[in-house]
Amino acid sequence: MTSSSRLTLLHYWVAFGVFLLSVVLGAWQMLIRSPLPAPLDDSAAYYASVTLHGTAMAYVVTTFFIMGFGYAVVATSLGRPLRGAMAAWIGFSICLIGTLMAVAAVLSGHASVLYTFYPPLLATGWYYGGAFLLIAGSMIWVVLMISNMRSWKRDNPGQPVPLAMFAITATAMLWAWAASGVLIELAAILLPRAFGWSDLIDAALGRTLFSVTLHGIVYFWLMPAYIAFYTLVPQAAGGRLYSDTMGRLTFIMFLLFSLPVGMHHLLMDPEHGSGFKFLQSALTFLVVLPTLLTVFSICASLEIAGRVRGGRGLFGWIRALPWHEPMVLAVALSLVMLGLGGFGGLINMSYGMNSMIHNTSWVTAHFHLIFGGAVVIMYFAIAYEMWPRITGRVLASKRMARLQLWLWFWGMLITTLPWHITGLMGQPRRVAAFDYSDPLIAPMGPLVVVSVFGGLILLISAILLILILVRSHFSERGNEEPLRYALAVNPPRTVPRALNGFGLWNTLVLVLMILAYGYPIGQFYFLKSHSVPAIGAASSVDSRAGS
Amino acid sequence: MAAEKAPLSENDSSWSRISWSLLAGVFIVFFLIGFVVLGRFQQNSPTLKPWASICRALGLTTADRPGGEPQPPLQTPTRIGWTPSTLARIASGNAQRGAFVALNCVVCHGEHGVSSSSIIPTLAGMDAAVIFKQLDDYRSQKRLWGVMSAIAAALSDHDSADVAAYFAQLPGGLLPNAGERVPAGGHGLRQRDPIIRLVFVGDPERGIPPCAACHGPIVQKLGVPALRGQHTAYIERELAAFAQGMRKNDINEQMRVIAHELTPDEMHAVAGFYGDADRKGSEQ
Repeated sequence: MTSSSRLTLLHYWVAFGVFLLSVVLGAWQMLIRSPLPAPLDDSAAYYASVTLHGTAMAYVVTTFFIMGFGYAVVATSLGRPLRGAMAAWIGFSICLIGTLMAVAAVLSGHASVLYTFYPPLLATGWYYGGAFLLIAGSMIWVVLMISNMRSWKRDNPGQPVPLAMFAITATAMLWAWAASGVLIELAAILLPRAFGWSDLIDAALGRTLFSVTLHGIVYFWLMPAYIAFYTLVPQAAGGRLYSDTMGRLTFIMFLLFSLPVGMHHLLMDPEHGSGFKFLQSALTFLVVLPTLLTVFSICASLEIAGRVRGGRGLFGWIRALPWHEPMVLAVALSLVMLGLGGFGGLINMSYGMNSMIHNTSWVTAHFHLIFGGAVVIMYFAIAYEMWPRITGRVLASKRMARLQLWLWFWGMLITTLPWHITGLMGQPRRVAAFDYSDPLIAPMGPLVVVSVFGGLILLISAILLILILVRSHFSERGNEEPLRYALAVNPPRTVPRALNGFGLWNTLVLVLMILAYGYPIGQFYFLKSHSVPAIGAASSVDSRAGS
Repeated sequence: MAAEKAPLSENDSSWSRISWSLLAGVFIVFFLIGFVVLGRFQQNSPTLKPWASICRALGLTTADRPGGEPQPPLQTPTRIGWTPSTLARIASGNAQRGAFVALNCVVCHGEHGVSSSSIIPTLAGMDAAVIFKQLDDYRSQKRLWGVMSAIAAALSDHDSADVAAYFAQLPGGLLPNAGERVPAGGHGLRQRDPIIRLVFVGDPERGIPPCAACHGPIVQKLGVPALRGQHTAYIERELAAFAQGMRKNDINEQMRVIAHELTPDEMHAVAGFYGDADRKGSEQ
C-alpha cells in the first residue's frame, strides 16, 4: 500500500465510522419525535443528539471523506505520489483532535447549539475550538491540492490538467472561500464570547457570516459526487465522457455561483433589507446551469456507453448498461434523488415561496434528499470503486453493495417524502416533542411513523456498508486495475488557459463576494450594531442552583 | 476549433472579456429588479421614487418616513440585563451577611421569608436573580410599590446580592421545580381542564405561550420567578397589574402582552393553579 493510499484509507475510515454513529443518532431522533415510544425519551438529549448528528455529518464525515478523496485523486490522476504527505498527516491529526474536542463538548451537554451555532445561544469554548480546528485543519488539504496542481502544471507546461485534478482543486478553492465565513464567525464572535473576553454577541452579524459558509459548504459536499459523475461513471459504464470542456465549465460555474448566494438562508431574517435577499436569491438560480449541464453530459456519456455495448433504439441503450456495477447503479439512483430534491430546492431558494416552508421539516427533507441521498450514495459508490485499489483485494460482494445502495435509496425516499408533506402541513424542524393528540398535529402522526421506518432502512443500509467495507479487507487478493478516469470522446490536447487554472475565476469570485456581501456585512460595522448579551448553558438557572 | 489555434494571450483575453461582461450584465439586471423595480411598489402606500426604493431595499427605512414626527421618549422596562458581569455579581452574594440585610424585610415578608399576608409575596426559595432584579427595579422606579422603593433605595448593589442569596436558600417557601414535562397523571399535553391546558400548552390562537415554559414546572427560565407556593392573591393581583399596564418591568414586555389576553376568570384560575392553596391542598 502506497503512502497516499494509506492516507486515503484512514480518512475514509474516520468518515465512515463517524457516519455509522451519526446514522444511529439520526434514527433515534426520528423515533423520539414520532408518536412511537422511544428509549431515553428526553428533549435535552434530543437537542444534544441533533447537534452531534449535524456537526458530524456536515463537518466531520464530509471533510474527512473529501480530503481522502482529494489525496486519492492527486495520486491517481497526476500519476505521481502526493507532494507534501507529511503536511497531510499533520492536517489529519489537527482535524481529528478538533473532532474529538467538539464531540466531547456535545456529549457533555454544554454545546446543544445545533451545527449552525444559532448565536446568541452559547456553547462551551471546547465545541467552538474543536469546530475551528477541524475546519482550519482542512485548510492544509486546500493548500496541498492547489500546490500539487501548480507543481504538476510547472512540470508539464502547456498540458491540460486532468479533469479530475482540475475539479478537486476547484473543490478546494470553493471550500476555502466558503469556510472563510464560519472561521471568521468562530474567531471573531463566538470564541471571544465563549472565553469570556466579551459580554456581548452580535447574533445578526454571526448569522450573516455563517450564511457565507452555508451554501458553499453544500457544494463542497456535492463536488466529489460530481467528480465521480464526470470522471468515474463513464469509465465504469464502459464508455467515454461526452465532453471534457463541459466538465471544466461545470466546476468553474459551481465555484462562481455557490458562494455569493448564502443569504437565501436569511430570507426571514430582519437584519437585512429586501434588495440583497432578492439579489442573492436570483443568483442562486444560476446554479441551475451547471446542474443541467451535468445531467445532460452524464446522460449523454451513459448513452455512448450503452450504444458501445450494443444497445439499440431510443431507449435500448439504457438496458445495455452494466447495471451490476455499483457505480452505474448509484448514478441512476443519485440522479433520481437529485431531481426530486432539486425541485424542492427551487421552492426553498425562491424569495416569495420560501415563507411557506421556512423552518419546517420540508427543509430537513430537502437537504437529506440532496445531500444524504444524491451525494452520499455517490460517496458509497466511490468507496466501492476505490476499496479494491487501495487494499489490493476484491470487493467482498458486489451483490451486497447493490443491495446496500438500493436500501439507501428507498430508505431515503421513505424518510423524506413524508417530511416534505408534514413540512407543508406546518411541522417545525428541530423540535423534540409533538402533541400528536392535538387535532392540528394528529394528521402528521402516521406520516411521521412512515418516515421512522425509512430511518430504520437507512440504518440497516449503513450497517451493511460498514460490513462490506470491513469484509473487503479480508477477502481474496485480486489484481484490480489501477483507478482510471474516463477519457473524453475528444480528449483535450490543449485547453484555453482560462479552463486550465483559476486566476480569472477567483478574481471574479472576489468581486462577486464584495458586491453581494460587502454591504450586508459592512452595515454591521458602519450603520448598526445588534450586539446582545449571550447566555450560555453554563449560566442558566438550573446549573447555578446546583452549584 | 478556431479558438484553440489562436495565440494563448488573445484566446485568454476573450474568455476573460466574455466572463466579465456576462457576470456584470447578470448582476446589473438582478440589481435593477431587486433594488429599483420590486422595491418601488407598496401594497398600501404610493409607489416609491427610485432612490427611496433603493434605500428601502437596503433596509434603511427612515428615508421614506415623514420627518419631524414626534417620537415617543425612549422607555426601558428595567436597568438589568443578564450579562455575565450581572450574573457574577448575583452569584457573589453572601447569604450570611444577607441575613442581616433581611432584617429590613421580615416585618412584611415574614421571619423566614414566608409572608403571612396574601398580597405580599413569599421570598423563601425565590431565585436570587429574580430578587436582585426586582430590588433594582424598585430602586430605579421601574416597578412601583410605595414602601418598597424607599427600602430598595437604601440598599446598595452589594446588599441586594447578599439579601437575594439569603432568601434564595431559605427552605419552606416556594416549591422547588420538579421538572414535570407534562401534567401529573396526564397522557400527552392535551388536557380537558382548560386551565391546565393554558399552563402547559398555552393558547396559540391568542398568542399565549405556556406559563410552565418559563415559570415551571416544564422549565425554569433565568430571571423568572417560580410560582408554585406563592400567594394566590398576589399572583392574581400582579397579573392584573401587568394587564392594565400598571406594572411594566418585564424585560421583553412578554407578561404585559400575555396578561392583556387573559380574562379575569383565567387570571384567577391560573393563580389558583400555582398558588399556595394548591400547595396546601396537595400536602394534605
